[in-house]
Amino acid sequence: MPFRVRDLVNDEATLISRRAWSDPAVYELEKRGIFGRAWLFLAHESQIRNPGDYVQAYMCETPIIVARGADLGIHASVNSCTHRGLPVCRTDHGNTNGFVCPYHAWSYDVTGRLRGIPQERQVKKRPDKRKLGLKKVPRVETWNGMIFGSFAEGIEPLEDYLGDMRFYLGAFFDRFPEGVEFVGAPQRWVIDANWKLPMENQLGDVNHGPFLHASIVPPEANQEIVDHGFSVVPGAGHGATFRLMPEDTPIEQVAWGFEAMPSLLGGPEVHEYLREIHARAAERVGPLRSRIKGLTFGVYPNLSFLWSNTAFKVSHPRGPGKVEYWSWSVVPADAPESIKKVLRGNHTSFFGPGGILEQEDSEAWMQQFRGANIDFADDRPFFYGLGEGEEGPHPDMPGLVSSTANEFYARQFFQRWRAALEAVEEA
Amino acid sequence: MPRVAGVTPELQHRVEQFYYREARLLDGRRYQTWLGLCTEDIRYVMPGRTNPLVDNAERGREEMISVERELEDSDSAGLPIRDESYPYLAMRVQRAYAPNSWADNPPARTRRIIGNVEIRSASDDALEVVSNFHLFFSRPGSSNFLYAGQRRDVLRRVEDDLRIAARVIVMDVADIQVPTLGLFF
Repeated sequence: MPFRVRDLVNDEATLISRRAWSDPAVYELEKRGIFGRAWLFLAHESQIRNPGDYVQAYMCETPIIVARGADLGIHASVNSCTHRGLPVCRTDHGNTNGFVCPYHAWSYDVTGRLRGIPQERQVKKRPDKRKLGLKKVPRVETWNGMIFGSFAEGIEPLEDYLGDMRFYLGAFFDRFPEGVEFVGAPQRWVIDANWKLPMENQLGDVNHGPFLHASIVPPEANQEIVDHGFSVVPGAGHGATFRLMPEDTPIEQVAWGFEAMPSLLGGPEVHEYLREIHARAAERVGPLRSRIKGLTFGVYPNLSFLWSNTAFKVSHPRGPGKVEYWSWSVVPADAPESIKKVLRGNHTSFFGPGGILEQEDSEAWMQQFRGANIDFADDRPFFYGLGEGEEGPHPDMPGLVSSTANEFYARQFFQRWRAALEAVEEA
Repeated sequence: MPRVAGVTPELQHRVEQFYYREARLLDGRRYQTWLGLCTEDIRYVMPGRTNPLVDNAERGREEMISVERELEDSDSAGLPIRDESYPYLAMRVQRAYAPNSWADNPPARTRRIIGNVEIRSASDDALEVVSNFHLFFSRPGSSNFLYAGQRRDVLRRVEDDLRIAARVIVMDVADIQVPTLGLFF
């Protein structure tokens, strides 16, 4: 049955059609209107420090090779041979001087330049190799070591795209004297859900915590959110939730790292390190942002960040009903190895495919997708109206600000989503 | 066949019986009793497993495609899927008996088959044992899943029994499409 995009989301975005989550035609519009036009997270610079280092990534369903060239530049290329389309890179990460397609051995350097065609000596007219390199991702930019790519050549600079989201992400990145680094390879797993729900979950949906996760999350953790929690939309589609702790809060109740179990069990050496980081946080990120005790952040369209269980996550669509979820553990770059080893666990075991908390999320996301596929409930769209109109400006923090129960983060996301799909909808 | 010092048919039998009892407790959802089979200083690890670049210098040798190369470091350079001590396992056990643990409501039905039990070393205090598992997993409204992998254990001898002091789980699923790796393997 044909649909108009405007029928999927009402103007206020308080009602979202089930088909927005489940219809294959909607997904086709999302691929072009969102993933073809946004900045998408690829990797972190700490993963590709040396010339020849590479990792695989995805932009929606498109496989990407992200590599450090001999020029030390970052190059992102589509992992598909120009000759017959096979992937030329068959491993997740490594260091190499080039890639060879298994089919006819066309070879490329790590920047995607075509180096050799074994068959060209046997033909009279040699192909112009300069025109036959891997398709390059036309725009690649970094911010705080985070590498993003975009298929839209004319897209605004990454820093403008992130806008005021940098204020909130910076509250994390900038408190560490040498920034952060990603630990090892990402955890990757498949969930039978629509890609938007994992995103929405981290964009601002703090309020599922005390209910879905009640078997693990203690009630006092929720009280702190009720007392000090904020939800912020720095720009439509982005989001940040956190507690802004009072100035006289004991250091262990405000400093990054103390909330997660590995840190708590980590012993005096770890605790001392976390206290030292916090002692200089005000100087590094300013007094207000040093009091931010983060919860979850989201960057449009599909990047998430978990503050306490320090991880970046990307929800890669694999069709309307399948997600390949990628999750990287992040640690402060300056920390001694023994402390990094403890801190990486802040992510592991609570999140990821074996996570104590995450298994409840995956369950909810899979069940929501079933609900989104119910045939005869099209006239009963999902309700997104909680807290409508209760958001507003804040004297000290950029963006629209509200309590964490206000679902405006999702309404703003879906307003941007609707506009993005309308822009590519056939007239 | 090379013999491992200290390994007798009786010891082999004891270890196998220990694993069968452990599997029966887990399939019976008797996790509290199962936790009693673990030492309080247990380290329970599931390394990440990736598809790394082959080292050309190793071509022609078994090392080139060894399983070990695929396992993420357990030091700070690698990210395990799970790296847990006793309090984590206790938390998972506690969670299993909370009615609001929604991913287990209703609970999964599992059946573990443990085999290929091989005692690699034996001392007066401890045994190093590898074993394989197949784990069938089923929940209402969902597909059925088969997990397969290897367990590398340190079993500590206590009086007339054994306790799990360390377990490394090498999971064989390449693309993780199973609902959770948060089970007891």
